[in-house]
Amino acid sequence: MRKRRTVAIVAVAAALTLTAGCGRDAGSGQEQAKAVDAGKATGDITVWAMGTEGEKLAAFAKDFTAENPDAKVNVTAVPWDAAHQKIASAIAAKQTPDVSMIGTTWQGEFAKTGALDPTPPDLIDSAAFFPGAWATTQVNGTSFGVPWYVETRALYYRTDIAAKAGVTSPPKTWEELTAMTKAMQAKGGAKWGIYLQPGKTGSWQTVLPFAWSNGASIADDKGYTFDSPQMTEALQYYQSFFTQKVSPTDLPNGQLEPDFGKGAIGAFISGPWEAGLVDEQGAKGKYAVAPLPTKQSSTSFIGGSNVAVFKDAKNRDGAWKFIQWLSKPDVQVKWYQTVTDLPAVQSAWQDPALTSDPILTTFGEQLKTAKAPPSFPTWEQVAASLDTEVEKVVNGKETPAAAVKTVQSQAQSIGTGA
Amino acid sequence: MVTTALPERRRDRTAKIILYAILILGLLVVVGPFIWMALSSFKPEAEIRAAPPTWWPHTWTLTNYRDLFSRLDFPRYFTNSVIVAALVTAGNLMFCSLLGYALAKLDFPGRKALFRTVLAMLMVPGMVLFVPQFVLVSNLGLANSYAGLVLPFLAGPFGVFLMRQFLLSVPDDLLEAARVDGAGEWRIFWRIVLPLCRPALATLGILTFLSSWNNFLWPLVVATTADKYTLPVALALFSVGQNRTDYGLLLAGAVVVVLPVLIVFLLLQRHFMRGIATTGLK
Amino acid sequence: MATVAVRAPAKSAAGTPPRARRRKWTGWAFAAPFVLLFLVFSALPVLASLVMSVTDLRSTDLRHPLAVNFTGLDNYIRLFSDELFLRSALNTVVFVVVGVPLTMVIALAAANGLNSGLIRFRALFRVGFYLPVVTSIVAVAVVWRFLLDPEVGLVDNLLRLIGVDGPNWLADTSTAMPSLIVMTAWRNFGTMMVIFLAALQSIPADLYEAATLDGAGRWQQFRNVTLPLLRPTLLFGAVYTGIGYLQVFEEPFVMTQGGPLSSTLSVSYHIYNQFGFGNYGYASAASYVLFVAIVALSVLQFRLLRERD
Repeated sequence: MRKRRTVAIVAVAAALTLTAGCGRDAGSGQEQAKAVDAGKATGDITVWAMGTEGEKLAAFAKDFTAENPDAKVNVTAVPWDAAHQKIASAIAAKQTPDVSMIGTTWQGEFAKTGALDPTPPDLIDSAAFFPGAWATTQVNGTSFGVPWYVETRALYYRTDIAAKAGVTSPPKTWEELTAMTKAMQAKGGAKWGIYLQPGKTGSWQTVLPFAWSNGASIADDKGYTFDSPQMTEALQYYQSFFTQKVSPTDLPNGQLEPDFGKGAIGAFISGPWEAGLVDEQGAKGKYAVAPLPTKQSSTSFIGGSNVAVFKDAKNRDGAWKFIQWLSKPDVQVKWYQTVTDLPAVQSAWQDPALTSDPILTTFGEQLKTAKAPPSFPTWEQVAASLDTEVEKVVNGKETPAAAVKTVQSQAQSIGTGA
Repeated sequence: MVTTALPERRRDRTAKIILYAILILGLLVVVGPFIWMALSSFKPEAEIRAAPPTWWPHTWTLTNYRDLFSRLDFPRYFTNSVIVAALVTAGNLMFCSLLGYALAKLDFPGRKALFRTVLAMLMVPGMVLFVPQFVLVSNLGLANSYAGLVLPFLAGPFGVFLMRQFLLSVPDDLLEAARVDGAGEWRIFWRIVLPLCRPALATLGILTFLSSWNNFLWPLVVATTADKYTLPVALALFSVGQNRTDYGLLLAGAVVVVLPVLIVFLLLQRHFMRGIATTGLK
Repeated sequence: MATVAVRAPAKSAAGTPPRARRRKWTGWAFAAPFVLLFLVFSALPVLASLVMSVTDLRSTDLRHPLAVNFTGLDNYIRLFSDELFLRSALNTVVFVVVGVPLTMVIALAAANGLNSGLIRFRALFRVGFYLPVVTSIVAVAVVWRFLLDPEVGLVDNLLRLIGVDGPNWLADTSTAMPSLIVMTAWRNFGTMMVIFLAALQSIPADLYEAATLDGAGRWQQFRNVTLPLLRPTLLFGAVYTGIGYLQVFEEPFVMTQGGPLSSTLSVSYHIYNQFGFGNYGYASAASYVLFVAIVALSVLQFRLLRERD
């Protein structure tokens, strides 16, 4: 049976060689950003961009090529659906482009892979951006990208229904919000006072603003801090809309905009893209957008997209110069005019294109104080756990106090992925 | 031909009516969403999102299709999809019938083990293979190439399973007779067995074409530049945004994507009509 | 037809005539192209992911996949104390036990109806019944969500006509899963119908003629002629549908997002979420548990519908 023995020996040897390279090392410390040389960009710069941005960026980048004639920007459009998968796979197979758009909640995970290049500090001025947006690029104190465009959430409400209910100015506090939405149902003729996402994927983006506005925090340098009286109180407030039947627990998908247009829903919390959608459904001119009501503060959620350079980039200098160009205030304004993405650079908001629209001004104000969740690689999983507990709470299956404890313990076992 | 007595014919007629009724009802239930999809592709975005949904468009518009063809480099993506789907289908038809025949009718050492392994492969959840397959394909230098898009799908265990089950019912005497006549194995396979399998081959062809045509995740990841994208990938580019979905484009795209599959289906179904010519052997 | 009397050469000392020996290896020759592609593109990745499942590999390790810790069966053990995984396993089992027979019965009935020779416009029906399989899941979801809507939906309105107050199908934890099962059976029976139809076509007509001569009625013919000859195809259908349904993903993903309260979360959906979170090692382990379940189900089906080899 010599043959069998040889096979066995080879197999063991192979296994040993494989495992010899295994095991994690203690982990290097903070990464140092390398500088980029001065002068114009040269060579091919490959860029991945999603959705509408992917469609329009190639033509938009011609201005960059005009300023840097030796450079060429090659944009590959990538679908948002599964863009995360595409980037992760590209990292695994070392097939990354020079630059890519990175969703703000993906930043921590991709930075942890070691595939992203730290932002050169002298090239980009972090103070130029909304603080919440810049925070999304930071992992363990090092920035691994640059905010490109942002979005945040504010309160949409039907002014005509509010007026009918005797409310003439937007609600400024939590008590006023409860009062207005109840009145909209009782006297304004709306079926539901407000639509708040009743748990399920992404509801954390509506729930956390309440928590932050009440002074709660998600984590500090020691770990998660979900378990706090402020968080519980915020969740109780969120739940009250459902237990008092002011907000529906089972609105079918896609029903929000038509119902708001019809006046069946008096208010909801969402981002700037909803304006176009509800206008199409007949709400144009009948609603306003107000900042989120204050408890201790009015703090909303900031999202959007960053751009980052990969370590395996073939044209690192060109890539960073392209990003630097995208962050110039006038380029940010021109980009807004091309695809209506809200600029991440604060000074861009002084431009008349943005100051003329009252809805935009509200979002601009809200952006100044908006927060993002921590850029932990494990955030998505923790957020999903929060979504699940929120769903139980709004359906009366769990108390806010118990939910908060559950989320805290699950978050702790999931860890921060550091 | 035995003539049937009159009472038999009346029973036949009631059966016919009931059958027609059930089938037509079933057809309506089944075809409904498809019709909605096709009609809605001609509606403006707002009407598509209206609740409750409308059936017949209140406003007819070609915007969705115009957008689709102007924003997408349609000919290129369509061609890519055709090439990839055709290659995968042809490859599967060839390789799977070869192996299926061998497993069903040829005795060779390790036959049972091979069948069990292939069957086991059918049962492995696809998601788990994704990352290793991509790393492998990239390391072979096949990323962003037609080979990379096609090769992993040529050895489809489903096809093997399907062909083997069909081929089990090919009468052995037919093959023995041919062997006794001095025909070589390849000749038997090519001249006698394959023509008998038309229904099975047509079925496998349709199903393989459909799954390859609709494949989204693999082409998305393997194509690193847009010129190798297939149609489903290109469609997702324009119809799904970070915070909103462009339903008009999605539906128009869905209609366009479905048409070639339906054409393939219609062409191949004629082969279902042919019965087997082996009845004479008894 | 005259049979040629060709004598096989005398048996060699090895015990098998040269022609029979050649046939032995012809089998492998026929199998070669498939096996080669299979080994490279399927077997290798399977082994790689099996290794993945006994480590704590996360998506953040992808650039240095070997720099992970070997964790043995840790992932597997954790699975069985994971509440979400257990819930999804229960949901999936219910789905398969009810959904597979339902789909097969509908498919067989449709195929039989279309094959019965009583129907003209066969092609129209064939294409029609196959349409759900090729219709985009997005369109399917919109229409079905509308059908099941408690206020304006067709189903509840019809029920109201006969005085029954229908539930909110997709939002009620006790009706969400059954609704999805029916929808999935509706969506997938076309594939099986096409396969059964092809198989029915290949049953020689004279067998039915003989049975009619013997005085057998339609139902008896179905039981005694059709079903036995259909056995290999039925087995194929059961195994293939079972494998597919154990991995059900699209329908809960688009219709209910696994809710309400995880009552429609399937194992594949849970695995998809875990891959999405980057827990590659853990998700691979869950996939292999699913694989074991699939194998178990298939073995069971092979036993029940065993072909006479």
